Amino acid sequence: MAIKKKRYALVIDSRKCINCKACAVACKAENEVPVGNFRNWINEDRQGEYPKLRIDFEPEQCHHCEHPSCVRVCPTGASWQRKDGIVLVNDDECIGCRYCMIACPYDARYFHEASGTVHKCTLCSHRIDKGTIPACVETCPSKVRVFGDLEDPASRVHELLATRRYRVKEPQTGNGPQLYYLL
Amino acid sequence: MHEFNWGLLIVVYLFLGGLSAGLFFAAGLANYLEVDGQPAYPRIARMGALLAPWPVAIGSALLILDLGNWYRFYKLFMHFRWESPMSIGSWLLTLFTLIAFVYGFAWLPEDWRQKLFSKVPPTWKQVHRLNVDLSGHRKTLAMIGFPFAIGVGIYTGVLLGAVSARPFWNTNLVAQMFLFSALSSGAAALLLAMVLDPKNPIETHETKFLITLDIVFIVLELFIILPYLIHGTLSVLAVKQALWLILGGPYTVVFWVFFLGLGLLTPLGIEVYELAPSLLKGHAFHGSRNLALAASGLVLFGGFLLRYLFVYAGQVSSFHKMGMLH
Repeated sequence: MAIKKKRYALVIDSRKCINCKACAVACKAENEVPVGNFRNWINEDRQGEYPKLRIDFEPEQCHHCEHPSCVRVCPTGASWQRKDGIVLVNDDECIGCRYCMIACPYDARYFHEASGTVHKCTLCSHRIDKGTIPACVETCPSKVRVFGDLEDPASRVHELLATRRYRVKEPQTGNGPQLYYLL
Repeated sequence: MHEFNWGLLIVVYLFLGGLSAGLFFAAGLANYLEVDGQPAYPRIARMGALLAPWPVAIGSALLILDLGNWYRFYKLFMHFRWESPMSIGSWLLTLFTLIAFVYGFAWLPEDWRQKLFSKVPPTWKQVHRLNVDLSGHRKTLAMIGFPFAIGVGIYTGVLLGAVSARPFWNTNLVAQMFLFSALSSGAAALLLAMVLDPKNPIETHETKFLITLDIVFIVLELFIILPYLIHGTLSVLAVKQALWLILGGPYTVVFWVFFLGLGLLTPLGIEVYELAPSLLKGHAFHGSRNLALAASGLVLFGGFLLRYLFVYAGQVSSFHKMGMLH
C-alpha cells in the first residue's frame, strides 16, 4: 500500500454562517487560547441601511498557505510546514521575534505573552493525526466548515470545489491560501 | 485598534545599526583619501573607526531584548536560512560588529592600547597576546569591512521590503532608502562628534569633507524618496492605500513636516548654504560650528524618524484592512 500524498484544506460555505461564534469558542477551549487572542474569528461585513441592507459573516483563521510567507521569513525554522500542508510553529525553536506575524498577510498569528512565542491555528493537527476533525469544524451548528483532503477524490472538499464556484482571500499575495470560500 | 508587533526598540535598533554602517563607511573612506601621498583626513578616520562599533553593539542588544524569549537568541546562529532576511541579517550584523571592533582596535592610539591592557591581570597571558599593533592593516580591514557595512545598512531596509504582506514596505526602493539614510546619518554623526570634541577642534577641511559627503548621501536619499512616492501613487490599489498613511493619513505630518522638512531638506539647505560659496564663487570655506551642529543634529533626527515612520506605518498597511481606515 503506497503512502498517498495528502493536502488538507477547509472549504467554507460562509452563506450558512450565523455568527454564533461556536467555532471561536470551541477553538479556545480545545487549544487553551488566552483571553484576548484568537486562532479563528468571524469577519462581519455590513452594507446599506435598514430596510435595504445586507450583512455577511465570514469565518477566518490561518489559511495554511501553499507558499507560506511566515515559514519563509522565520530565522530559526520554528515556523514550518508539514507534508500535508499544515503550517505549524515549533514552540521550542521560536525565539519570539514576531517577524512571521508581520509577514502574514492575513494577520492570523498572535503572540503568546506567557510563553514568549508565536501561536496560531494548527488545523487541530493533534486531532487530525488521531483521525478526527478540527474542533471548529466539529462544533459548527450550521455546517459552514468542511474539512478534508484535497488529494482524495472521494472527499467532500474535493466534490465541493469541483462543483461549486469559490474564491480565496487575497490571492495576489501569492501565498496560495487554502481556505476556500464558496460563493 | 491596530497592534504593533515591532515597536520602539526595533526602531532604535534600525537607526543604530544604520548609524554604525554609515560611521564605518565614512571612516573607511577617510582612511583611503590621500593628498600628496599623505592621509588627507586621519582624524576623521580615527574618530569614525573608534565610534563605529558602539551603536551597532547597543542596537544588537536591543534586538535581543525585544525577543519574546531573549535567552533563545543563540538559535539564530544555529541556522542559516537564506530565504529569511532576519537570518541573513543576524549573521551580517554579528560579522560586521566584530569587524568594526577590530577596525576600531586598529585605530586605537598606542598609549590607549597599553592603558587598556594594563588593566588586564598579567597572569591572563592569552589575553595579553591580543595586544598587537594592527595599525599597518587599517586599509585591509576597512576593505574587508566595507561590504559588511553596506550589507548592514541595506539589510535593515530589506528586512522590511521583503515582506509582501505590507504594501507600504514591499518595494525595491526601501532598501536603498535605508542605506543612503544610514550613510548620511554616519557622516552627520561624525561631523557632530568632531565638532563637539573639546580637545581637538575640528578643522575647516574636515568640516568641508563631511558636509560634502552628507550632501551627496542626502541627495541620493531624496532621489529614492521621490520615486518611492511617485511610483507608489501610480501603483496598484493596495500600495496607493498604504501610501495614504503619509499622504493624508495619520503619519502625514510626521513624514512631510518633521522627516522631510526638518530632518532632510533643512539640513540639506544648511549644508548647501555652507558649501556653495566655496564651490561656485571661489570663496574660502568657513565652516560655521553652529550650522554644522544644527545640520548634523537634524540629519540624525531625520534618520531616526524615517525608521520610526516606516516601522509603524508599514505595520498598519495591509491588503485587507486598509479600506476601513479611510
